[in-house]
Amino acid sequence: MSDSPARATIRRLLRHRLFVTGLALFLIVLVLAALAPWITTVDPTKLSIRAKFKPPSMDFVFGTDNLGRSLWSRTVWGARLSVEIGVAVVVLNAIFGTLVGAISGYFRWADAPLMRINDALMAFPAILLAIGITAVLGPSTENVILALAVVYIPRTARIVRASVLVLREMEYVQAAVAAGAGHARILRTHVIPNALAPLIVQLSFLFAYAVLTEATLSFLGLGAVPPTPTWGNIMAEGRQYMIEAPWIITIPGVLLMITVMGLNLLGDGLRDVLDPRLRLQA
Amino acid sequence: MRAALVIAAIGVMTAGGAQAEAFKCPKVGGSFTFGQEANVNSLDQMTSNTISTRNIAMNMFEALTTRDENNNPILDLADRMAEAPDHLSYTFTLRPGVKFHNGKPLTSADVVASWDRYSKVGLDRQIFDAVAGWEAPDAMTFVVKMKTAQPTFIEKLSSFSIPVVIVPAEAKDDPPQQLRSIGTGPWQLAQSVPGSFVTLKRYDGYTPNTHFEQRTGFGGYKQACFDQVTFRIVTEGGARVAGLETGELNAVEDVPTKSVDRLKGNANVKLLPLNNWWIQIGVGNATQPPTDDVRVRQAIQAVLDMDEIMDAATDGNYKLNYGFAYPNQPDYVTTGKDTYNQKNADKAKKLLAEAGYKGQPVVLLTNKDYSSMYNAALVVQEQLKAIGINAELKVVDWPTSVQMSQKSDSGWNIFFSGWGTQPALGALATMAFLAPPGAQYRPKDDKDDPDVLAAWRDMSNLPTKDERKAAFGRMQQVILERAYVFPFGSLTKVQASRANVAGFVPFRIPRMSNVYFTN
Amino acid sequence: MGRLLLLRLAGAVPVLLLVSVVSFGLMRLIPGDPSAAIAGLSATPRMVAQIREQLGLDQPLLTQALHWYGGLLQGDLGRSILLGQSVFWSTMQRLPVTMALSAYALAITLVVGIGAGVLAALRQNTWVDQAAMMVAMLGISVPNFFLGLLFIIWFAVGLGWLPTGGYIAFTDSPWGWFQTSTMPAVSLALLNIGLLARITRSTMLEVLRQDYVRTARAKGLPRHLVVGKHALANAMIPITTVVGIIVSLLVSGSVVTETLFSIPGIGQLLTSAVLGRDYPMVQGGLLLVTALLVLVNLGVDMLYAVLDPRIRYER
Repeated sequence: MSDSPARATIRRLLRHRLFVTGLALFLIVLVLAALAPWITTVDPTKLSIRAKFKPPSMDFVFGTDNLGRSLWSRTVWGARLSVEIGVAVVVLNAIFGTLVGAISGYFRWADAPLMRINDALMAFPAILLAIGITAVLGPSTENVILALAVVYIPRTARIVRASVLVLREMEYVQAAVAAGAGHARILRTHVIPNALAPLIVQLSFLFAYAVLTEATLSFLGLGAVPPTPTWGNIMAEGRQYMIEAPWIITIPGVLLMITVMGLNLLGDGLRDVLDPRLRLQA
Repeated sequence: MRAALVIAAIGVMTAGGAQAEAFKCPKVGGSFTFGQEANVNSLDQMTSNTISTRNIAMNMFEALTTRDENNNPILDLADRMAEAPDHLSYTFTLRPGVKFHNGKPLTSADVVASWDRYSKVGLDRQIFDAVAGWEAPDAMTFVVKMKTAQPTFIEKLSSFSIPVVIVPAEAKDDPPQQLRSIGTGPWQLAQSVPGSFVTLKRYDGYTPNTHFEQRTGFGGYKQACFDQVTFRIVTEGGARVAGLETGELNAVEDVPTKSVDRLKGNANVKLLPLNNWWIQIGVGNATQPPTDDVRVRQAIQAVLDMDEIMDAATDGNYKLNYGFAYPNQPDYVTTGKDTYNQKNADKAKKLLAEAGYKGQPVVLLTNKDYSSMYNAALVVQEQLKAIGINAELKVVDWPTSVQMSQKSDSGWNIFFSGWGTQPALGALATMAFLAPPGAQYRPKDDKDDPDVLAAWRDMSNLPTKDERKAAFGRMQQVILERAYVFPFGSLTKVQASRANVAGFVPFRIPRMSNVYFTN
Repeated sequence: MGRLLLLRLAGAVPVLLLVSVVSFGLMRLIPGDPSAAIAGLSATPRMVAQIREQLGLDQPLLTQALHWYGGLLQGDLGRSILLGQSVFWSTMQRLPVTMALSAYALAITLVVGIGAGVLAALRQNTWVDQAAMMVAMLGISVPNFFLGLLFIIWFAVGLGWLPTGGYIAFTDSPWGWFQTSTMPAVSLALLNIGLLARITRSTMLEVLRQDYVRTARAKGLPRHLVVGKHALANAMIPITTVVGIIVSLLVSGSVVTETLFSIPGIGQLLTSAVLGRDYPMVQGGLLLVTALLVLVNLGVDMLYAVLDPRIRYER
């Protein structure tokens, strides 16, 4: 493959105002996450009961919580965890969502059973299914990732399947079939690469959902094990002090919002550039 | 002489009863709304042991005996009680004129049916372990026959944790959690919307107990002054406080400590602290290494700084308190005091060295549902790490932690909990946690520590109150010295009401009788 | 049409069967059981054992499963352990609450979402467009539990305009219902307003570019007529599918919103059932709710087929 179409795409993306804004917002969070060990001086779980409930000030940039822990440390490390979870869910979705979607779109015999399972999983309200799964597996970062993957893979699979259904009927694919090419080869070289654009768009939105749902699960007490600092955990612990110490919930809440908005803008940009047809899907 | 206190108290009340000075509502009417913290599932007082159920149901149901303001047993639906000289039977005579909410008069047949139901499904039916049977010789008489004399029977029977409430005979076969809501109390059920609110209305056919002049504990002379009382479920602490400030709620339970200071400046609000709400506690696991070694447990005990733990657990609203009773209680003993709040890192390190501790994990089992337990565990972890103990947190939800704590091999060393109702009921109820079957400190191979066991038997069976109290002292001492559990201190819970509410006296369970608006 | 309906109904049966298997299995795998919730904070091990026995939790899993499916065949969803009421009745008691709240949120979503979307499309690339899309972007980016907390701080505690939580049924007091439902409904609606506004805008833009709209404009038809009659009517088709998605998002959202605002709806019922390990309630309640969602989506599909007769789509 030549380099120029990819370059052209990147150039178009970089000229897309929303995409650049989204990228910038998301980069803020990525940088915080990546530099967490270097830009925080205090252990995010270090208690300091005497310094509890300090509002943001020169000494404590983001203030402290009910146990005197530094909210700067906690939110920055929380960013790291959110990004880790987002990346893991996206990767799992990219692999298994594509696999399930491609198989069910390409092989007629596999379609019905796979899609019934898909339908069943999608029939549950997403958050309840995630609650159920994390409750079974016990709260931990890995289990949250697993739960989010189970909740979102059916949705990814459905999008891949839709593209594959169309591609399968394309002349060049039919030609390859007629020429006796193996299924695996056809899927690999003809079908999946051409289904990538909507997948990439979906994955950027998925990153946002994963971060958001993880925060919701943590907020309900079912996310990563406390005292691991996640934005949801910080907010859950801070909610009972929301009137007297509103900064505890506000700071992670705003960061969460910035992340999700950045990713949404990024996704919008990708969609506009990569796959304008998709604009009708949210 | 047995149960002397009961008889004496009742005797006094009977002698002084039936006079003119009984409580009369200064103002009748109005609608009172109480902000309740936890959702209420079922109002079946016989099969539910949650505070949220008790909050409401204890205003609707009554039992033969209950506890007064100072936690002494008193009669409620019973007019008189006679204990046989051989202590093998108790004869209760019912209070005349009592009617159920459905208008039917109370008879001994209802009592028999209620006791029958309790013995089948009642949660605390071990009350009846020493009981041979019961019968109703006539419509107003109820007789309990004992297998063996049990000096503590009335103390157990009068417990308000899961009392043997009296319901109409036709409720005898109501399945667990499904008891029809018909009692004899001053309040009757008007409407219940699970997850949202429960409304009680005044029962006009209520016959107060004229042996008393005032409400006392859950008994006494009770009058419903409001037309109706609504228990609204408001789970967010901040929302409860806000509701009280705006007047949406007339009273609330569990005001967050952080809000207390702000409310102090509000002339429309009365703060009602409930001292000694529960003993914040860590329960050791004497089977799971390394806490199977008494020296490791003692090392943990030696290093703990209770002020720090309690401060974090309660946001600062606590009292230091060692052992299993509070200073204002008759059971209070001072044994084992020197084990508490030692803050002695050197001693702890020495004990660890003696035990040959090599960094095996000490798992702190806690939950997120009760933030005081969670915060206490965080501080304990930090204090243990400071002396080189490899303390790990295991945070699960409350039901899971309960289930795990009941097995010795489910991978925990200290289980964080709060003992509330039992210490309020007295030492006998509290120490049951540490007695067979299934003592909470998980004795190795389920063989209870013989010294603990001996003290427990004495506590339950010795004939006089003083002897039983001394036995409690011995039990507390052994438990603390062998560091089976780690009581951290006592937590204060704050209730609050609007300034125009009178008669709302803080108590473990909000009592809606003899409470009224002053304007 | 009828055949399509039948086909889709038949397709829903295995889905629901799987749902029932998944929810039965999930619940039994969760550590902890309902005895802890019934027995309360101060339960002794003996009490817990008594409760387990009473509830039949000490029976083998297969027996419990047979019991559950046996009841299901007779249309009996079982009885909630914690509430002591039948699962069906408990669900039906809560359903109107969630439905009223969702309907309120949906109404806000439709009015604001479609309105903003159409306005943005008509004023494409003006400040109106940008402002509307900015708000829509905010809407899909704010976590609804965060928004709910902020609402409580601002409108209930700070300004004292609205109650902090609780719920008053519409039939008891319409004004009370309006007061207690507005904050939760708005916080539920915001995400969906964002979704709908964005989709309405892009659909409208596409439709406005179509030949027949241009022709209508060229013929000198008034603008509002063209927009109202031609453009919007055609834009309704994709919008309808999104409404289907929105309904299930509302149910999902209600889980958090109802917990936050102490509203006795389905979301709160099921969350507290999961947390309290109320097995029959979770199994039966989930089955009922998913069945309803499947029906809603089916209805949306039917509507879609009616709106756009060209489509005999299979999914």
